[in-house]
Order: sequence, then C-alpha cells, then structure tokens
Amino acid sequence: MPDLSIALERYDALRERADTEYAAWRNPERPRIDIAMDTSSLANGARATGVAIHRVITERNANVDMGQVHGYGMQWIHPSVQITFPNGETVLYGPVKPEDAARIVDEATGTWGAAADLRHGMITGTHEGVPSVRDHEFFSLEPRERRLMRNLGLTDPENLMHYIARDGYRATARMLGRHLSEEQVRNTLNDAGLTGRGGANFPTGVKWNFLFGAPGEEHYMVCNADEGDPGAWVNRVVMEGDPHLLIEGMLVGGYATKAKVGFIYLRDEYPFSVERMERAIADAEAAGILGNDVLGTGLEFHLRVIRGAGAYVCGEETGLLSSIQDSRGMPRVKPPFPAQRGVFDKPSNVNNVESFANVPLIIQHNSEWYREHGSDKQSGTKIFSFSGDIPRVGFMEIPFATRLEDCLRVCGGIQGGQLKAIQSGGPLGSLLPPEALPQLILQPDSFTPWDAIMGGGGMVFCNDQTSVLVLTEMFSQFVEDESCGRCTTCHGGNQRQTEIIRRIIDGEGRREDDPNLALIDRTVQFSNCVHGQFSPKITRNTRVHFKSDFEAALLGVDPTLTLKGMYEVVVANQRPEEQAAAAADICPTAAIQGEPGRRRVVDEACIRCGACFEVAPDVMAKRAKAPKPGLVPVLG
Amino acid sequence: MPLETESKARVRALVADFRPNNGDMMAALHRVQHEFGYLSRESLEVIAEQLDMFPSILYGAASFYDEFRFEPPAQTTVRWCSGPACRLRNSNGIRDAMLATLDMEDLHEKTDDNRVGMVLGQCNGCCELAPMIWLEQHGDHGPTQTPVGHMSAARAVRMARALRDGSDLDGAVNA
Repeated sequence: MPDLSIALERYDALRERADTEYAAWRNPERPRIDIAMDTSSLANGARATGVAIHRVITERNANVDMGQVHGYGMQWIHPSVQITFPNGETVLYGPVKPEDAARIVDEATGTWGAAADLRHGMITGTHEGVPSVRDHEFFSLEPRERRLMRNLGLTDPENLMHYIARDGYRATARMLGRHLSEEQVRNTLNDAGLTGRGGANFPTGVKWNFLFGAPGEEHYMVCNADEGDPGAWVNRVVMEGDPHLLIEGMLVGGYATKAKVGFIYLRDEYPFSVERMERAIADAEAAGILGNDVLGTGLEFHLRVIRGAGAYVCGEETGLLSSIQDSRGMPRVKPPFPAQRGVFDKPSNVNNVESFANVPLIIQHNSEWYREHGSDKQSGTKIFSFSGDIPRVGFMEIPFATRLEDCLRVCGGIQGGQLKAIQSGGPLGSLLPPEALPQLILQPDSFTPWDAIMGGGGMVFCNDQTSVLVLTEMFSQFVEDESCGRCTTCHGGNQRQTEIIRRIIDGEGRREDDPNLALIDRTVQFSNCVHGQFSPKITRNTRVHFKSDFEAALLGVDPTLTLKGMYEVVVANQRPEEQAAAAADICPTAAIQGEPGRRRVVDEACIRCGACFEVAPDVMAKRAKAPKPGLVPVLG
Repeated sequence: MPLETESKARVRALVADFRPNNGDMMAALHRVQHEFGYLSRESLEVIAEQLDMFPSILYGAASFYDEFRFEPPAQTTVRWCSGPACRLRNSNGIRDAMLATLDMEDLHEKTDDNRVGMVLGQCNGCCELAPMIWLEQHGDHGPTQTPVGHMSAARAVRMARALRDGSDLDGAVNA
C-alpha cells in the first residue's frame, strides 16, 4: 500500500508553481489583451481580430501582451476580448472587429476610454463608471459565484496551472491523500442529489454503485460528449472553457468505480473541443495527474478522446458504446445495461459531460454546499444555452427551478413578433406553446404535464413569423435521418411521418393525416431505444399544443406564409423597375419572367426561396392561396 | 512483401500505430480522411488489415457515419446548417436557393465539374450568427472551414453563382 499522503505533497508542489504562474497572469507586469477563443468566437472571426490586434502591437512595439480566455456567456458580443491591467482589473469588450484593434490597444496602453463603447463591464476588480459584468441583466439569474463556469474569463482554458491555482485537482488530491473511500465519494454525490445532466436525470452516484459492484477488475468510465441536440451547446462550454474540470470529474469517477480507463466520446462538429480536450489530457498526463501513477498514489487512470463522425444516435449510450468498439453506432436492447456489459463487453458507465463536471465541485465542497442552489426536487445549478428569436444568444449557469419566463426576459424578450413556441430537449424533446411559459420552471418534472422534457439544456424561443410546422418538418426529418435502421417501427415510421408532414406543407393535407400520424406515433413507441420511442414526440406536440395551426395547415391555410404550398409569390408592383429587374436577376430558377412593366412569376418554377423579397421589397409580395374547398379533417 | 502503390504505403504509415480491438477505428478513419479528403477502397483495405477486420465490415461501419466520405469531396463544400435557430430565419430558403443555383436535386450532391458540393451540417451552437453556412475547402494541407453567418437567400444565390462559375466569392459573400 503506497503512502497516500504523497498525493497531497505532489499536489502542494504543483499548487505552489501554479499559484506563482497564475498570480503573474492575474496581475501581469504589463497589460494583456486576451482574445476569447471558443467555437462561437471563432465563427465570429476571433482569429482575424487576434491577428489585427497582434499587428497593431507589433507595429507600435506596444507594451502589451496577448493571451486567450473562453467567452463569458454573451455570444452576441463575440468576438470579444478582455484586457487585464497590472492592478488586476479585467474588462470585457465586444464585439471587437479587426478595425477596432487599434482602439483596443489604445485602451490597454493607457488611453482609457478609447474603446469605451465596446465595454461591457468588469470581469474582476472595480473601476469607476464601469459596472461589474455580473450586474449585466443577462447574468442576473446566475448565482453571484459561478460554479461550473467559475473559470470562464478568469483562466486560460489551455493552461493546467490556471486550473490548479483556482482549486483544480484539489478534490482529487484530498480524496486520494486522506483516503476518502470509493463508497464515501459515491454517497457524497447521492447526498448532493446529483443526477444525469444529459436529460435522463438518473442519480449519478447510484449509477456508479452499479459499476463499482460489477464483477471483474476491468471497468470503463465513458463520457458522453456527443451533444447532438441542435440548439444545445452546454457540453461544449465545459470542454472548451474548462477541460480539466471534465478530466477531474472522470478521474474521481474512475476512482469511485474502480475504472482504470476512460473514454470521452466527442462529436465531430466540435473540432475545437477535441483539440482542447486532447491537449488538456496530455498536460494532465505530463503533470502526473493522469496515467499509471496518479499523484504518486499508484492509482491508474487513462483517458482517451474518441471522435464521433456525425451520428446523432451515438448519443444513446449503447449506440455510443458500439461506436467506441469499432462498429456501427447502433443502439441495442437493454438489459444488459452498460454496468453489466459496456465497452469491450466489460462493465462500463456512461455519464454526460456536465454530470462529470459537477463531481469535483461536490467533492471539494460538500453535498450541503451543493444543495444551496436549486430546489428540493433538483439541487444544484445547470448550464443552459438560449437561442432563436431573441436578441441575446448565449449561455448561462442558473440554479434549477429558475422560471423559464425570467430566462426569456434576461435574453431580451422575444424579437420580431410574439412568442409562438419554445423548443426544449432537442429533436426527441418538445415543442411547447406560449401558454406553458408562465408555469415552466427549469426542473424536469415541470415539463412533464406538457408532454415535454427539459433535456440537456438547449432552449430555443420561436416567434410567430415562422409556422411551427417548419420546425415539425425539421425535427421529423432529423429523427428519420438519424434513425440507426434497426427497428422497422423507427426507420419506417419516421419516413412515413416525414412524408405526411411534407405533403401537408406542400398544401396537400388530407383528412386522414391526423389519425395516421396518431397511428404512427403509437407504433413508433414500440422501438427498442429512446431514439425511436421519443421520435414522434415533436409531431405529437404540434398536433396537440398547436392544434389550430395544424388543422389550418391541413386545410391549406398558413397565416405566416412560410409553408411552401400555401402561398404564392407575385409581382405586386411593376415599379420601381430597378427592383423588378434585380428580382428577375436574383431568382435562381428564372421564375420571374416577362418584359419590364409586364413581369410576372411563373408559379410552377418558383421555389419560394425568398431571394427576390430581399432585393425587391417594394415589388415582390406573398399572396395566400385559396384554401382547398370541402376538406374537413378527421381529428383523432 | 508484394509491391504496393505509393498511396497505399502512405495509408499504411498513417495507421501504423492503431491496433485491433482497441477502439481505434474512428481515429483511423478520421486520420486517413483528413489526409486524403476521403476514404478510398484501397485505404479501407489497408485500415481493415491493420485493425484485423474484414473490409466489408469496416465499410459497413464507416458508411454508418455521415461524416465519412467514400469519394473525393468537391473543391468547395457548402455545409448548410440545419439547426432550429437557422430554420426560424429562412434557412430552408437558403438551402433551396443554393441547390437550384447549383442545379442539384438535394443535399449530398456535387456539381458535374466537381467544383461545388453541398452537405447537411449540424448545429454547433453559434446561433447568434443564424442563419449560417460553412464553406469547406479541401486543399493539399487538409480541409479548412470558414463559417459565414447572417446568411440570406439572395446572398446564397450570389455565393452559389460565384462558386459555380469560379468568380469572385469574397465579393458575393460581402455583397
């Protein structure tokens, strides 16, 4: 038995080095400009901003350094940068375009106010006239002290020392050094009330009990980072913002379940997350935190990233396990559960990224601390991502049981129209009507009465300018496309479902469509995995919660004029001719024909892409088609 | 040792550190596709041998995943975001406009001259840019991806024309 106190000694040595490095980073000798680097920032041009700032610094030989952080949560201000001054004050700016580079460098080098209009607030410290970013309305629902996102904006996510200096790996060192037993770790999680964050909400500690008790020595810890729900990017924030938090969670999990190897199954759409996770794993190995001898205690834990390749169904745990073992990512029937037969047919455990991320925090503090936030039914905080027809797209960490209405408010309210629908839980999730909003709190059981799920944390707010059937078609096609093909109910049923919805959108609704969709719904639920079982859910939500829209669509009526078959595009005015000519020119199918002054749209050729409205808003118009006479739908 | 083509030898070198029954398949396929742009029959044979799998089983597994290609990609691939935030802002119109301009029936097709292809992309949570697409270029040094946010149907038509005709793409992007 090795001397376990060595874990604390090793940790203290790392910590000493980390404290020195981090102190120098927090209070740099000269100002530092940190570019926010994450998937969203990169898409918004963070690299170009970084290059431009670097060029200005070089040209001026300015007394400034450069670094990187993760975005703070307000994605609508990306690309953002932070300036940290020698006194430790850190200020957030955005959006910083390449043309703003000189102003940012000015601001950093002493011309305070040069970029005043881009300032959003203080990340740390106080400065007269600049509010704390914590006082921004968008973050008003967050606890004052962030937990899962505590390192965002305050560390370089690619720097292990920063993580350690912010108490990272302390839970591990204390767990190993004071020999917290495996059972104590699992009990602490159960006391804290930690449940699966992927959407299924199963108690994490209980799941770990199964794996710990499983026979044999070869156990595997698997992280489900295949965050495939469109509109959800919660796991991405953890992996790109604080990759070591996930590693530490898995390391604690490995200890508590006797697993020596862990896999992180990461979706292909997050290449930047793959890069950061692999780098973090390599750094942790080099520091003796991962590998054959964790912190000198003889504990063994190895981590590997497995990169997915665009199969949504690999987010189902048995599909994910199949994909790790060199085969198609097809889910199989449970039982046997992963704790009995998982990776390489050995006992395994699959948890969501965010479930793991909570673990070190709970072990480091305690279960009571964890339960300070949330409700009796669901303790703790969770990261949620918000998108859709709202001005403030971003992510925040909020306590469970927060009112969804408040979330919409801090996101700036609905934009461009009235609230029409709320999409939660991804393609297997739900489409909620506006009536539900006042009653919804961010807690799984609050969604149940609406035949809905809260899911992994993605919330999309939709206004009334687009028909809900556009989303119904999208998700129906999605679940059809992503069906693994094993169960006929799922792959066949979802094909029929999509066909019917597309036909309705084309204005060819039939009286038997509603009962047929109901039949498909009942049938598809007999599929073997959750993908099939939940696949007709959004269509069902549409039929129930948006009954009047659905019935109208069956009759060929769509007030939003966004369903292809229910409107036509017409030349409403022949003038101004420049616009009419531009419309004829932009039309990709040459559907706008005729001489100037006598232009018209050939309906059969028009694909209703909408290009002509942009170039000729005064000329082109949509006109509702007459509803089909005599069609009375049979409603089930 | 039988003689083999240079490309086969390159694949063999690329996958030399992968082992059978070790969860290496996805990594091997990614590495080869990154290097060559696609997975040729020849390369699948080499990978199968390395992983001790039948080539047919390997192909069956690889073809399950949307991101693995078995023919060379077009010079530029338009990856169209299919996420909900984009759909709320006419991304269906953007898709249809591009397909019509490029004379394609559906996604996952290429133009005859192999200049432009179009594929379905999944949401990666940059929804503040909705509706968006990504332009992927396949060069000698692997793929590069450029996101283009705040798309519109008219812009989509201009971009698709520029890609199709090989004319000024930047002009079309910024128009």
